Order: sequence, then structure tokens, then C-alpha cells
Amino acid sequence: MQASRARLFKEYKEVQREKAADPDIQLVCDDSNIFKWTALIKGPSETPYEGGVFQLAFAVPEQYPLQPPQVRFLTKIFHPNVHFKTGEICLDILKNAWSPAWTLQSVCRAIIALMAHPEPDSPLNCDSGNLLRSGDVRGYQSMARMYTRLAAMPKKRLAARIILITGQSNPV
Amino acid sequence: MDSDSINNASSTSVHNGKDFSRKKRRSAKLKQCKLDARREQWLSQSVVKNKVCCKAGTNGGDSKRTPRGERDSSLENLEMRRRGEANGGGENGSVQHESDSESLPSNSPTSSLLLGGTGSGTSFTNSSSGSTSSGGCCSGSITEEEGDDGCLDDWEAVADALAADDDKQEMERNENYRENLCSGSTPEHEPNPQLGLNGARSDLRNSKPECQRTVQMATGTSRAWRVDDAFRPQTLPNLSKQRSFPATDRHFGQGGVSWVRSSAFSPPSSCPICCEDLDFTDSSFLPCLCGFRLCLFCHKRILEDDGRCPGCRKAYEHDPMEAEASIQGGSMTFRLARSCSMIARS
Repeated sequence: MQASRARLFKEYKEVQREKAADPDIQLVCDDSNIFKWTALIKGPSETPYEGGVFQLAFAVPEQYPLQPPQVRFLTKIFHPNVHFKTGEICLDILKNAWSPAWTLQSVCRAIIALMAHPEPDSPLNCDSGNLLRSGDVRGYQSMARMYTRLAAMPKKRLAARIILITGQSNPV
Repeated sequence: MDSDSINNASSTSVHNGKDFSRKKRRSAKLKQCKLDARREQWLSQSVVKNKVCCKAGTNGGDSKRTPRGERDSSLENLEMRRRGEANGGGENGSVQHESDSESLPSNSPTSSLLLGGTGSGTSFTNSSSGSTSSGGCCSGSITEEEGDDGCLDDWEAVADALAADDDKQEMERNENYRENLCSGSTPEHEPNPQLGLNGARSDLRNSKPECQRTVQMATGTSRAWRVDDAFRPQTLPNLSKQRSFPATDRHFGQGGVSWVRSSAFSPPSSCPICCEDLDFTDSSFLPCLCGFRLCLFCHKRILEDDGRCPGCRKAYEHDPMEAEASIQGGSMTFRLARSCSMIARS
């Protein structure tokens, strides 16, 4: 309990100090509860998630960092390893490959990496996984891009984007 | 300087010769006890792990050799010359000094022992030459003699004068030795017998001297040691870098250890897991070969949990004894150093 608190506090300070270091990740601690964090991550470029901002919710157990934090997407995302309804993430480092040396920040990075490199063979989102496994990359990308636009883009930007798209190319 | 050194040399050589034979008898006894004790310890450890057992076996051979070699340790040359002087007279005085100084750098890693050991008892060692402080155990005790001889012509007088000090020292050293035995066997335990022998030696030096057979023996066997000795200073820091830490945590707060640490590398200031500051014990604790450091508390919690190193995710070695035994070699010196420092304080 005490250890996890101290550790989280240190991570908090670290995050404050290196806010500019990783512009793709914005990690925010709940005002009243240091065991609740939210993160905003940018969809990696050259993926269907590009341009989207995805919100993650961290629930840190008291045994942290010996136990991994529970992370889920608050933002809808079409990804083979993310449960479409609950936002649960299937990622080894959040399960058995967790190491106490990892931090919330590094978890965010791992999730960004997972977005860029989906693992269709252990899907939580069967539709997405099936698309990829059947080789329909284009189908997967279209779906993912659509949901990124629908759910992960700020409304203003989304509107601008739609105008851009409708003006220049075929809408999805 | 030259004439002086010659005088000193010749006188010391005679005394030394006498000493050593006497010493030989005593040291043989001492050696026997030591070996027995050590074997016992090894055996007990080897029950835990075969690996350890093997090491112990090889060490057993070493231990037989080392005490003798150590007696003259790095000073092989010195002894040889001494012998020559005793036989042929003292031309080699200057050479002796030279060899003395030669031995200094090679012994420097163990200097802290010496500092503790000799520094506490005899004040003249320091005054006689800076060598004692920087020299190894044996060289230290010998230079001690020389320094004394330089001051006083009469050996008997010196012996009387030294008697009190040396008795004290001997006791302390034996204590050290015992302590060392208790604290476990090591693959590399040269300094261990050194200390014990030093005690014996200083004692014998005072009592009575005769011939120089021991010296011959010593010169013969000390070759192996000398090689060791010559290459020790370079290797010691490396050893400590890799493995001495788990053992060094037993003797924190000691100068010798801090020397090692500074020469090795500085561990993180706080535990990456719990973010508590690492105390000396923690920072000298190296549980995994990958180099990932953490505090003992977190280490224990992880062992109770899944037992994998956070750094490399490989399982920690479950048998701490094994880790210890494999590690102790490089750090034996420092354990000794600790005990010496205790003397210095007492």
C-alpha cells in the first residue's frame, strides 16, 4: 500500500517533469485518488488510428508495481486486441509479462505499439481479428479508420476532416 | 639511506629467518585448524549445492597452498633476498626496499585490511614508511619489522617493546580470522589465512627465532601466490563489479568497500520498484546478473510473488546460498577489511 503510493507519487512527479518528452502521451492522475489515472494517447502515424486521440483509464492495484495496472480504452477503438465494448486490452505486459520495472508511462507506450502492431491471433475483437486473419487488411483499416474518426477525433477536427475528405476524396 | 637500509635489511633478515621457523611450527598448527574449520564450512555449504561443493573442493587445494604462500605473499622476492642476506650478508638492503615498494601496488586492494590491522596496534609502522598503510597484509607486517629494526638495533628489545602490541594484535587477528571463518568460505580466500598468519607471525616474531627453512618453503610455494598477487589489483575491481556486492553488504560502512564501490559504479539512489532510497545494504545488493537493482524489501516481495527479475524477467536464483558462494570470492577481502576496521575502532 505504502510502497505503491510512493511509487505512484514518484511516477506522478516524473510525468510532470517530462511532460514535453513524449508528446504522444498525456498521463493525468485523478485529483483525489492516486490509484486512478487517465491517459490520452495519440494514434500512431501510418495506422488507421492516426489523428485520433484515445483515452485510457488506469486502475492501479494496491500491490502495484508488483501487480500490473488495469488499463482499458475509454474511447471506442476497432482493434483486434481491444474489446470493442469494454475497452479491455489484451496485452501480455498487462498480464503475465508484467514487470515491476514498468511504469504507467511505459504501459502507454506499449499500448501505442500494440495499436501499430495488432495481434490478430489473440483477438478480443473477433471481427477485427477475422478481417486481419483472412487477409483483408484494407477492410480492417477502413473499419478502424472509421471508428477512429467517429470516436477518437475531436468534433471540431472531425468536422474539418470530413470537409477535407469530402472535398478531395471519396468518403468512407 | 643505502647504508641504513643495508643495516636494516641484514638485521631483519636474521630475525626473520629465526622467526619463520618458529612461525612455521605455529602456523602449521594454525593452518590445520583453519583448514579443518574451512572444510567443515565448505562441506556444510556443499550440502546445499553441488556447485558450491566443487568450488570448495578447489579451494581446499588452494587453502593448503595459500597459507604458506601468503606468509610471504607478494614479498617472495623480499624473502628470497632476505635469505640471501642472511647467508651472505647485507648487500641487498636497497633491493629489499625496492621489492617492498614493489609489493605495495599489488597489494593495494587489501590495504584497508592492513590499515585496520596494523594501524591499530603499532604506531611506528606508519612512521617507518608509508608502505604499511598502502601495502598488503604481509608486506605490512614485514615492513613493520623493518621499521622497528630501523629504530632499534636490538631485536630482543624490539620484541619486548612489541610484545604488548603484538599480543593484542594477534588476539584481534585471530578474532578476525574466526569471524571470517564464520562468515563463510570463499573461492578466493587468500586474505583470510593471511590475517591469521599475520597474527601468528607477529607473535612468533616476538618470541624466538632460529633458521630459515620456512622461508625457503615459502619462496617455493609462493610462486602461485605471487602470480595471483600481481594480477589481483586489476581483477579485484572487476570482481567486485560483477559479484562482490551481495557479500559486501555484510560489511557496510567500511573504507575498503567504499573503495570498491567507487571504482565499480554507482548504483541507483532509490529502488525503482518502491522508490524508497537504497541504503548501503540495498545498493550493494545485486540479485540478478542482468544488473537490475532493487531494495531487499522489494526483492523479497518479488520472490514471494513470481520470483522473476523485473529487469530481465528471468527467474531469480532461488538458492541464496549458491549466489552467495559464487559471489563471495571477490569480496573476501572486504569482509576482512571490515573486521580489521572493527579492530581499528576498538
